[in-house]
Amino acid sequence: MNLEKVIFGFFVLLAATLNFGFFIGDIAESLLHNVYELFAAIVVSLIATVLKFGDRTQIGAVHLATSLVADLQLIAAALVWGYASYVSSAGLTPHATASVVSLSGGALFANVVSVVLLVVETVSFHRR
Amino acid sequence: MGNPLLVFWMRLFGGEEEPSSRRLRRRIPFASAAQASATIFLILRRMRAPLIVLITIFAISVLGLTLIPGKDPGGQPARMGFFDAFYFMSYTATTIGFGELPNTFTYPQRLWVTITIYLTVIGWAYAIGSLLGLLQDRAFRHALALQHFTRKVARLREPFLLIAGYGQTGELLGRSLDALGRRFVVIDRAAERIDALELDPYHADVPGLAGDAGNSGHLGVAGLGHPYCEGVLALTDDDEVNLAVAMAAALLRPELPVIARTISPAIADRMRAFGTPSVVNPFDCFGDHLSIALRAPATYQLMMWLEDGPGAELPPRGRPPAAGGWVMCGYGRFGRELTADLRAEGLEVCVIEPRSPATGDISVVAGDGFEPGVMARAGIEHAVGFVAGTDNDTTNLSLIAAARRVNPKVFVAARQNKPATAPLFAAMGVDSLLVPTEVIAHEVYAQLSTPLLWRFLQELPARGDEWAARLIDRLTDQCGRHLPALWKVRLTAVEAPALQSWLTAGDARLGDLLRSPEDRELRLEAVPLLVLHGDNCVLAPEDDLVLAPGDEILLAGRSTARRDLETTMVIDATREYVLSGRHVPASWIWRKLARPGSREEPRLAAQEVSRPGHHPWPRRGPHAAGGGRPRGRRRAGGPSGG
Repeated sequence: MNLEKVIFGFFVLLAATLNFGFFIGDIAESLLHNVYELFAAIVVSLIATVLKFGDRTQIGAVHLATSLVADLQLIAAALVWGYASYVSSAGLTPHATASVVSLSGGALFANVVSVVLLVVETVSFHRR
Repeated sequence: MGNPLLVFWMRLFGGEEEPSSRRLRRRIPFASAAQASATIFLILRRMRAPLIVLITIFAISVLGLTLIPGKDPGGQPARMGFFDAFYFMSYTATTIGFGELPNTFTYPQRLWVTITIYLTVIGWAYAIGSLLGLLQDRAFRHALALQHFTRKVARLREPFLLIAGYGQTGELLGRSLDALGRRFVVIDRAAERIDALELDPYHADVPGLAGDAGNSGHLGVAGLGHPYCEGVLALTDDDEVNLAVAMAAALLRPELPVIARTISPAIADRMRAFGTPSVVNPFDCFGDHLSIALRAPATYQLMMWLEDGPGAELPPRGRPPAAGGWVMCGYGRFGRELTADLRAEGLEVCVIEPRSPATGDISVVAGDGFEPGVMARAGIEHAVGFVAGTDNDTTNLSLIAAARRVNPKVFVAARQNKPATAPLFAAMGVDSLLVPTEVIAHEVYAQLSTPLLWRFLQELPARGDEWAARLIDRLTDQCGRHLPALWKVRLTAVEAPALQSWLTAGDARLGDLLRSPEDRELRLEAVPLLVLHGDNCVLAPEDDLVLAPGDEILLAGRSTARRDLETTMVIDATREYVLSGRHVPASWIWRKLARPGSREEPRLAAQEVSRPGHHPWPRRGPHAAGGGRPRGRRRAGGPSGG
């Protein structure tokens, strides 16, 4: 067992699960989407990105790319949330909530790709 | 083609001579470039831990702030949102510190903030410290420098030379090449020399790589595979490395010219096994030079002057000794070469050498030259020449002193190995000094600066001493005691479009071409050194030499003369004035207006006026073809227009 692989897999999977947890539920209903979960998703996603630094393989490069996409989407979601809650006079309307959740949905897709890559890597490793 | 615009067009799009030969035959592997990117990946990997620590500390701090209850100004419980918490942590962690926002903190909040302040300071210090440490990292800097170098070389868009080895020789040569406006790329094992490159006052940017030149990957990065690479110079002080460079160049780019330095004939043979590199052996060159200097001092003076490069002062003419015996101290590679050269001149040589070598018919005195009695046994008091040729400068200096004590009038030739001892040898007043690095630099410069100069220097010794002395007088009369710029003109349709009809007329005298466009009674301040016609060359041609299209001329002269000559070669009106003294309008319309009704080309008539004694009519052109000789004559004689 390789400890590095355990940590790597843990963070990649945790980023995907947290993202999924935030995303699930009625898209316009702000009560169903906990902002702490979004925060946790962002932090874990950032850590996962840094863990992917410095891998020279092709699959490592794609890993890094998917993580960067997820970060971008999640940070965009956080920005929309911050704007709606603090700057906009209307507050966190269903419309704004829908934007935040759909952005995190995009991040979820990238995270799923990341997980698929992880699985592919693991399977191909065993076959060798 | 007299129109400068047309000439410009031709230069841009007309030249079909060069590109095909420059085509790259195969790709050179860039092993070092891959190494460089590997280092950058390693650096990224090393930044993982500090970044993760920073993210974690930030996340914990922000999360804590949002969870700990606070109070709004009205005393009602209020928690900080993520945005407030993130904002607060951002300015606190970066030590900007705007105060407690949005509300004054409660004590539990202050407790947490105290903890987070210490945590984040540690996190930032760790991350920034690691980053700065990486920037200082030798491997990282080397990788960056390599990438920078690779980019610079890849972006070169003019012909350049690849110089392997940037010691004394490389530096001397680099300066001369830079003065000629040639580009070059340098690769050397010593990083200090590459750093020194940036301080050298070059006109052009010189990319330099610190690395082993014997590594073909490094050569590839330095532009061996570049389509604009026009030659490879192996000038390191290590014969093995030079051999490796010559081999790599011959195998990977067989079409490139290679000049390699060596002091060993065996290595020279091994180099010649790969293609046809031009091998420069400083000892060999010095032997040849010394025998020329003994036979023909003016020829030697001229050679040294021309090889010194533009701006060099005329070296003093040596006074060679009369025929007689020579004493040679040190019988290594240099001693052997020089002894052979001196004996070939018919001189008696006596060798002083501690280890008695098996030399056959050469008289050898065993011992060190500075030991008492050894010099006398070698017959120094009757000798005319003395050579201090060991590989130790201190020994050489004491040998010279010992020889001069016995025979003050002896002609002294010495070998200087280290640049640091140059002032000592200068103070000694040595008659002929070998500095191997300078000999190589001069030799390579002569081969590279223009092919015609090399040809000139090859043919020079055969011309005799008086001839050389006359040429030196001519050069100093025209251009002063500092060597003027040397340049080459080609009388082709591309470079000299205005002269073509004059050249094909068959009576194109060199002297007419070298008149000044400002006042044709004055001569341009330039001396023609050589005219190459096909494969024949004329050295120091006289004014009445007849030129033909396609001839190449090597000239020495001031840069103003060069510009003037180029004007004559390109612009019709200037050509007309310089060759015939007639002022003609520069533009086509004015020329038509100036001679209404005349269909003749003005220059043909002009030539007839200027040289009535020579060809009355050039045997070419539409008039001659039409058989209209009498009519042409009548018209030129009396332009009535009838």
